[in-house]
Amino acid sequence: MTLSVGPQHPGSGHFRLIITVDGDIIVKAEPDPGYVHRGEEKMAEVRNYIQNIPHIERPSIIDASGILYPYVLAVEDLLGKSAPERAQYIRMIMAELNRITSHLYFLSIFGIFLGHSTMFMWPMGDREVFIDLSQMIGGTRITFSHFVPGGVRSDAPDSFADKAEKTCDYFEGRLKEYERIFVNNPLCHQRTVGVGVLTKEDAIKLGVVGPSLRASGVKSDTRRDEPYDAYDKVDFEVPVYSEGDSYARLRVHFDEMRQSMSIIRQCIKQMPKGPVKQKLPPQLRPPAGEAYARTEAARGAMAYYIVSDGGNYPYRLKMNVASFRNLIAIPYLLKGVHLADMPTVYWGLDYWPVEADK
Amino acid sequence: MSAQSSLEQSLVQQLSSQFKDSVRSSSFKAKRFKITVDETIILKVAEYIRDQLGFDHAASVTGTDFPKDGVIEVVYHFTSYSKDDLRKVVGALAVRIPRDSPKIPSLINVWPSVEYHERETYEMLGVTFEGHPNLKRLLLPEDWSDIPPLRKDFTLPGR
Amino acid sequence: MPIENFEDFIKRVLEIVFWVLVFSPLVIFPLIFIVLPSMMGLIGIMIPGPIGVNDILAALADPLKSIPIMTEFMKTDFFKIAVFPGFTWAALIATGAILIERKLLAKMQLRVGPLYAGKFEGVLQPIADLLKLIAKEIIIPRRADKLAFWCIPFAAMAVGGALLAIVPVSKQWVVTNLDVGLVVAFAIMSFFPIIALVAGWASNSKYPFLGGLRALHQMVSYEIPLLLSALGVAVLAGSLNLVKIVETQSSIPFLLVQPLGAIVFFIALMAELERIPFDLPEAEPELVAGWMTEMSGMLFGVTQLAVYVKFYALAGLFTTLYLGGWYGPQILPPEMAEANAVIWFTVKTLAVMVLMMVPRGTMTRIRIDLMLKAGWGRLLFLAFVNIFIAIVVVQLGIVPR
Repeated sequence: MTLSVGPQHPGSGHFRLIITVDGDIIVKAEPDPGYVHRGEEKMAEVRNYIQNIPHIERPSIIDASGILYPYVLAVEDLLGKSAPERAQYIRMIMAELNRITSHLYFLSIFGIFLGHSTMFMWPMGDREVFIDLSQMIGGTRITFSHFVPGGVRSDAPDSFADKAEKTCDYFEGRLKEYERIFVNNPLCHQRTVGVGVLTKEDAIKLGVVGPSLRASGVKSDTRRDEPYDAYDKVDFEVPVYSEGDSYARLRVHFDEMRQSMSIIRQCIKQMPKGPVKQKLPPQLRPPAGEAYARTEAARGAMAYYIVSDGGNYPYRLKMNVASFRNLIAIPYLLKGVHLADMPTVYWGLDYWPVEADK
Repeated sequence: MSAQSSLEQSLVQQLSSQFKDSVRSSSFKAKRFKITVDETIILKVAEYIRDQLGFDHAASVTGTDFPKDGVIEVVYHFTSYSKDDLRKVVGALAVRIPRDSPKIPSLINVWPSVEYHERETYEMLGVTFEGHPNLKRLLLPEDWSDIPPLRKDFTLPGR
Repeated sequence: MPIENFEDFIKRVLEIVFWVLVFSPLVIFPLIFIVLPSMMGLIGIMIPGPIGVNDILAALADPLKSIPIMTEFMKTDFFKIAVFPGFTWAALIATGAILIERKLLAKMQLRVGPLYAGKFEGVLQPIADLLKLIAKEIIIPRRADKLAFWCIPFAAMAVGGALLAIVPVSKQWVVTNLDVGLVVAFAIMSFFPIIALVAGWASNSKYPFLGGLRALHQMVSYEIPLLLSALGVAVLAGSLNLVKIVETQSSIPFLLVQPLGAIVFFIALMAELERIPFDLPEAEPELVAGWMTEMSGMLFGVTQLAVYVKFYALAGLFTTLYLGGWYGPQILPPEMAEANAVIWFTVKTLAVMVLMMVPRGTMTRIRIDLMLKAGWGRLLFLAFVNIFIAIVVVQLGIVPR
């Protein structure tokens, strides 16, 4: 029997999976993305480098800083400029705050996909405190448009350090409660352990990125591999699990949130005083050339390939987003799993249709 | 230059010496290098990059339309997970193919990760990847009848 | 009189109200006087002595005089079926349970839950939900089997209601006191999977069909441990009559004698009721809403109500079998023993229901293969063990028959 899962389905998002089932086992899954394709790349070609900032972060509003970060780095690379040191730290704080909110979103949907409604509500509620925190810096709740080539738009207020410390303390306690109610729940083990196993070889071959890659035992994190901004000055672990199943992917998200909080704390401590933005002309005209910049966003390696012809507008802008790179693993992993495990496997891969469709 | 740039330099040199005649141009900067080759030998170059140099997956496939030169440049970005020293390097393998009949062999057998990227490039730029098992429309609507949208002669209404 | 402004409108409305008030006594009261006595004959109220229009008029003037009529009415089967231990009571408890569930779940999840309907903590939320569902359009899929589709909610309600008829709220308040009550309960329960399957099939849609199949698998395989664990109680009580089963528990509830059986029964009951962690037939992320996917408007409302009526009835069955039914310390004055029994039964049943709601906040959904394994492999085994325990207990004479 062929099932069309989505785009109007509680378990799919703006995305369709054409699933062939034999009894309860999926024999074939074919993804059909494109329901929210907006032509971001074409739009970018007819807007200048500053005008591109707001619309570029729209595909992934739950991780708005993450998707904007490599764009800013790529433009800076083309211009041959770099951000002041304080701006680099503020960018890192924003990126990590966004990583936490994005991972909380992940957890809550993961919870409801397993039928655990408490795990749906708690992370959604706790996501709010981090949104408040990023609002202090970015000015808005989710789509900040805060990074600009040459720095950030605004500085962090003085009260930020205290509030961030308090929030992190609170959240560490909450993480323990999440583990008690959900991650260590035997039923959750039963549903996730050994489900949708992505082996290390396959993960490398398919070029999977982000938490899914690290859950398969590949210790690769762009923040470590190719430290950008001040990531080489902070100390953090890259959580790696070797199992490659849904449970490992869940655990990676948990550990990454802890690491993110540690990075935020270190950033606050190390952050120097100073300007947060380099003076650049309002109309950026990078010299002709091309740049490929990548960062580690919440969902994995996010990269931009920009070709400039020396004009106001990017000649070509390619968004190489994490979700799109994980798309290939969805049909691969869904083969042979139970229909009931479809949502967890699919969501565990950190696939965000809006981001993949661009 | 530091030890890093020498790594990129050595990679580029290795490639250039291996495929002397077919390499059109090559460039490198810190952590990045790019090599442009003839489309006829792209499969061989890709296999060499994968097997000899150790770049085990392609991160993206993309293309740029250059109507002035009459070419489309298809770029494969590749990097490595398995080799620690190559992780920080992103290489680019480019081919320039004529705009009116853009055809190159698919690299899906070299790097399976290019499957959906090649499909996207196919519909966005009209580049045909020969040997791709499932070269269908991906993101655009089924009834799209215009020219591929990322070509430069496709203009956005109102712009 | 044309309506030109708001004043005219108010005048018009007042005028209509006035004439209705004038005419209604002239039309409606005679109707009541003619229809009510004949109705009473129909539903079987036997009022001692001749009753005429005058008596009813007197009752209208003096409500106290209607008490004998009411008490007579309460003795009829119609009252039992329609009002007290039967349908109205169950529907009230079911709507109450929906509200309790929502509030309880909200508290567990650090939310507030329904808050605005009604002055206090959203107590009128079920009514608001009901109004919303009534106002909604009923959409039937084009190629659905219309007759079967329309029948589903009512069939579900009928089966839930049938179960109510045999669960004794107290010794007096039971609709039918059958000698084989327990067997009848399981016979009725075996209708549930059929209803779910027909609902899934009639919608002519894939998700409901899968949901119906899952419901069939789940209910059929959990009915057996359910029946076997209840067998232990029957062995102890020496009867299949639910009233007698309760009466044997006057000193000690079977929960203490048969803890294993009670646990198996409870788990199997949760599966039978499709409650989390066993709500696979409605597993939202993969099956949208299971066999209820295509239901809309009041069809969905009635089905949902039927599900909750069934919830109440089966919780009542658990109370009957393991918690000593209506027995409990006398908290009301001795002359109100009946009311006391009803209160104890209700309190115990609600406690069972709340206990079944708690996992919804703390557990994940189980997968069908794991669930069937647990059902056939473990619960069945435990149920057998439990029967042997019951037999040993009876042979040793620990529990007096």
